[in-house]
Amino acid sequence: MNKNRIIKLIPVFTVLAGFIVGGIIIAATGSNPFTAFWNLIQGCGLAPKASYAGKKGMITDLLSFIDLWTPMILASLSVAVAMRVGLFNIGVSGQMLFSGFIATVVVGYSGLDAFIAKPLVIVVGIVAGAFAGGIIGFLKFKFNINEVVSSIMLNYTFSYVISFFINTFLVDPVSRQSKAVSAASRLTLKDVELGAYKMDIPLGIVIAVIAVIVIWIFFNKTVSGMELKAVGLSNSAARYAGMSVNGNIMKAMMIAGALAGLAGVTYYLGYFGSIQPRVLPATGFDSIAVALLGNNQPIGIVFASFLITVLSKGSTYMNSASGVQAEIANVITGIILLFCACNAFIKWYIANRDTTTKKGFKRKSKKADKDGGAIAEADDKKGEV
Amino acid sequence: MSDYIVEMRNITKRFPGIVANDNVSIQIKKGEIYALLGENGAGKSTLMSMLFGMYEPDEGEIYIRGEKTQIESPNHATKLNIGMVHQHFKLVSNYTIAENIIMGMEPMKKALGFIPMVDIKKANKEIAELSKRYGLEVNPEDVIEDVNVSIRQRVEILKMLYREAEILIFDEPTAILTPQEIQFLLDIIRGLRDSGKTIIIITHKLDEIKQIADRCAILNRGRLIDVLDVKTTDTKTMANMMVGREVNFKTDKKDPVFGEEVLKVDNITVKNKDGLPVVKNVSFSVRAGEVLAIAGVSGNGQIEIADAITGILNVDSGKIYLNGNDITDKTVRQRIDAGIDYIPEDRNAVGMVMDFTLAENLALKSYYNEPFSIRGILNRPAFDSYGNKLIEKYDIRSSQGNPTIVRTMSGGNQQKAIIGREIEHESTFMIFVQPTRGLDIGAIENIHRQIIEERDKGQAILLISLELDEVMNLADTIAVIYSGEIQTIADAKNLTLDQVGQFMMGVGSDE
Amino acid sequence: MNSIIIDGLVFALPLFIMAMGGIFSERSGVTNLALEGLQGFGAFTGAFAAVMIGTVSPDMSPTAIMLLALVFAVVGGVLFSLIHALLCIKLNADMVISGVVINILSMAFTEFLTKLINAGIFNMPSNKFVLTVTDKITVPGISKIPILGAVFTNLYIFEIIIAVIAVVAWFLLYKTKYGMHLRASGDNPHALDAAGINVAKTRLFAVMISGAFSGFAGMCFAYSISSSFSSTIYVGYGYIAIAALIFGNWNILPTFGACLIFGFARSGGYKLVQALEMPSSYQDLVMILPYVLTLVLLIFFSKRNRAPRALGVIYDKGAR
Repeated sequence: MNKNRIIKLIPVFTVLAGFIVGGIIIAATGSNPFTAFWNLIQGCGLAPKASYAGKKGMITDLLSFIDLWTPMILASLSVAVAMRVGLFNIGVSGQMLFSGFIATVVVGYSGLDAFIAKPLVIVVGIVAGAFAGGIIGFLKFKFNINEVVSSIMLNYTFSYVISFFINTFLVDPVSRQSKAVSAASRLTLKDVELGAYKMDIPLGIVIAVIAVIVIWIFFNKTVSGMELKAVGLSNSAARYAGMSVNGNIMKAMMIAGALAGLAGVTYYLGYFGSIQPRVLPATGFDSIAVALLGNNQPIGIVFASFLITVLSKGSTYMNSASGVQAEIANVITGIILLFCACNAFIKWYIANRDTTTKKGFKRKSKKADKDGGAIAEADDKKGEV
Repeated sequence: MSDYIVEMRNITKRFPGIVANDNVSIQIKKGEIYALLGENGAGKSTLMSMLFGMYEPDEGEIYIRGEKTQIESPNHATKLNIGMVHQHFKLVSNYTIAENIIMGMEPMKKALGFIPMVDIKKANKEIAELSKRYGLEVNPEDVIEDVNVSIRQRVEILKMLYREAEILIFDEPTAILTPQEIQFLLDIIRGLRDSGKTIIIITHKLDEIKQIADRCAILNRGRLIDVLDVKTTDTKTMANMMVGREVNFKTDKKDPVFGEEVLKVDNITVKNKDGLPVVKNVSFSVRAGEVLAIAGVSGNGQIEIADAITGILNVDSGKIYLNGNDITDKTVRQRIDAGIDYIPEDRNAVGMVMDFTLAENLALKSYYNEPFSIRGILNRPAFDSYGNKLIEKYDIRSSQGNPTIVRTMSGGNQQKAIIGREIEHESTFMIFVQPTRGLDIGAIENIHRQIIEERDKGQAILLISLELDEVMNLADTIAVIYSGEIQTIADAKNLTLDQVGQFMMGVGSDE
Repeated sequence: MNSIIIDGLVFALPLFIMAMGGIFSERSGVTNLALEGLQGFGAFTGAFAAVMIGTVSPDMSPTAIMLLALVFAVVGGVLFSLIHALLCIKLNADMVISGVVINILSMAFTEFLTKLINAGIFNMPSNKFVLTVTDKITVPGISKIPILGAVFTNLYIFEIIIAVIAVVAWFLLYKTKYGMHLRASGDNPHALDAAGINVAKTRLFAVMISGAFSGFAGMCFAYSISSSFSSTIYVGYGYIAIAALIFGNWNILPTFGACLIFGFARSGGYKLVQALEMPSSYQDLVMILPYVLTLVLLIFFSKRNRAPRALGVIYDKGAR
């Protein structure tokens, strides 16, 4: 019992470890880590800053934070769904970029009314993302191509091809990015004035919340979700039980792609409003950390994505407020990831630690040994009954 | 100086939750064949693993040639001239026989006069000589993956001899061999003894012990029961001591009553990943109330036949009929629903999703139907009540019942769960592949009884087993497969063990 | 034509040495998707060393600095590879996850440190280390031969070093005791263990070789592609090297062939854009060539080729 509780707490220790190492690095560069971490929180509108520019306030920062948190949740769900079927979807960034670009071209420049444009952006995001994810699934089951390699190749292919189109046809000569999409198509309501403040209303968070609930139900309550998990846990057992392994790989990668697609549209047509050529969204890589940290569970992902978004969103303010390099945020994320990768070992260590100490105790005297043996045997029987 | 080459005194070894060896003492003389007899889990392999330096005993002492020795590693054991052939061979599949044997003790030469490199020519020559000297003919340049298990076993033996082992430990060496190959191996072991080696053989096969061993130690649940002189003890006594009670060698069964033809396999060919045929033009049929057993050495295509019938593998040509319907192109699930049950060889990797709960695994072939799910939504209470029913009926023991993760269950109980699930599933045809592998005698008897019960209820049963005893005990009809081809199909009464063995090696009986 | 060969080799050879490192690691049984991160970290340490040395002793010749930078890159690659070794060999981590995590970590660390060092030591806000251009070598005589001569024209020193290392590595992998143990460890580590050889050590050394080779390759890329180190070094070359070794069926010679194809496809593509006088944004289309080529080749080779049997399997003494 106790062991299980400790195992459940591993992610907390993982995060702590990440921040401690990060804090030491910050301290080594001559800044105060506690101030720096406080700045992170301030930068996300979770605590008041010392001062605000005109018409801006904590609420402005908070909503902007939520606007960036949204794609992080969706992207991480994407990684988690793929991971459940045993695939490592490192192609989230490419899928985000692809669907964001398609939605930008199809809807963003169309001049459609908001009532049509906004739902259409979502639909296009889902379809384009599912297509991009589907390619990876197809390459996996049809040609047995390692999904990590194929996703990376697709990431760069998408990145350069889209960069070509933007630079050749759609570039905004001032910002060197793609031309801004219409306000009607954006999933963020820009510059809304409420009371004394001006703010951006993130509509995408609704999609993210729905997605979390739907994915939770999918895995815990549906036949499809159970099959997907079975395929992920054991290909051969799933095939034996009459499940289609290829079909489930394809299904999982299309769902994962669709979620990444939603992340893409909430990122490019929500948070940003334009696309920077030749840059893959960092959210796509951060989402790997989130999914690992959240143990691929929807609820875990909500918490983990919150944390990682605080790091990435708050780092800009941290940089301006205390002069700490913003890139330290990525370093902390990386270290958290590193500890996540050791999860298996930490679990094993905790699970086995008791038995090793017990053995040490048993060895003390011959009599204790005999008793210990009897107890061990009794334990074994208990396990059987 | 002691009379014994090996002495293990008061050895105790514990693993979490189990005492594998409890105060065991054995003494082995130089130049004898000493057998360790016991059921699975009796602690034979653990005891020998300690002699070979793989584990350290928690208590007790080991004396080699009269000297107290702490054997720290297999490496150390090798230096003490102890060698071991493991049950699972430890060979590099894409290396030649010679490369496998010399690994770790490579003959070297200097390239260009100063760069050390492996002298493979010298190795080949040495191995050829060594194999000739002990009558273990092998071609040193053959690659392991191209040779059969019997040759691979010779390679393992040569590995020990190359390292100049004097004390040779064999862990269940005959489990994977045909009767004829077994005889050959036993001859070799005798020869090794006659050339002065000391042999320790771990086994649960009584007749082999009777044939070659000088003395025999019997273990049960980690304890040493007795050490017997083999010549003066009969096998029945040994068996009873091994199990700790009376043993029935034969399952009681009535004469079969055959019904309609249920399964018909018509001239099927199955190819493996590399496009090579592993099942070649195989035809047979199974009637209701019949146990048809396919006997054969592992890896001769029998698993592929089972997988083809259940739809896990596609056939390349030929047809499969169930109750007169062509099911050749049906999916796995359609075949399950049509009434095929399958107890697979590998219960861990295939028969169950090990990280699912017991309840989920018990419903693994019906979860998609009502009442387990309604319009795609799972109905958990149905899983639980069905699980309770099967747990009770098949005496499946686990720590928490339905919510137990099956990985934590014992092998015997996992197998009970699989067999229970398959029997409960509505069907007309059942495939059992190696249903008793790794189980103890009590569990084996139980499963054999269940198979006969199902037969008597009118099920058509295909049994695929590497254990000839099991085949001879249960089958009404025996088919023997070799190299993907059926060598013979005959009424079980008309075949002797030796004949089956000859067919298994592709040598047709003369009669 | 000549420039296609010259530029192609400049890309293909570092890719080859990195892929060779991957072969060592994977033939020993350790899946290594971390090549990308290892080459980046190697390039970082090498470039940092080069900039430091250049500052401390401005009179040193660019070639000498490059050689020293390569040494430091190798050291950096080896050190970073120890993380992968620790996770995969000692801590039983999932090797795929470990590899990807190391790539992310490498990028985060080097980006952060580059900025920090530039600001702290050199007192300028920059995210790159600029490297000095070095002399190239043309072998007199042979270089005059038509077409083939281009192979010996305008060589970076590192290209010659790679050729030498490749021969040594080939001998090491296929002809020596250690190579034999390494390959056995990737097929059946239990057999190796039974022969009395330490599987963990064998694998550790293999991963370190991959770190050394990747670090070396990263430094070569830093010199030849942008004459600087920055986070733009992370553009997936490590993954292309993995693709190359998959086509090469985890053997050194065919992998060399695959790397040449990548190199010439890339240089040929650039030549084409130049020849057709296309606008610069069309360069992006050429940039996708190696990636698309990787996918296409994988489609043809992935199914046929056989990975080492124990690849990606954590070695557990108890399991059989």
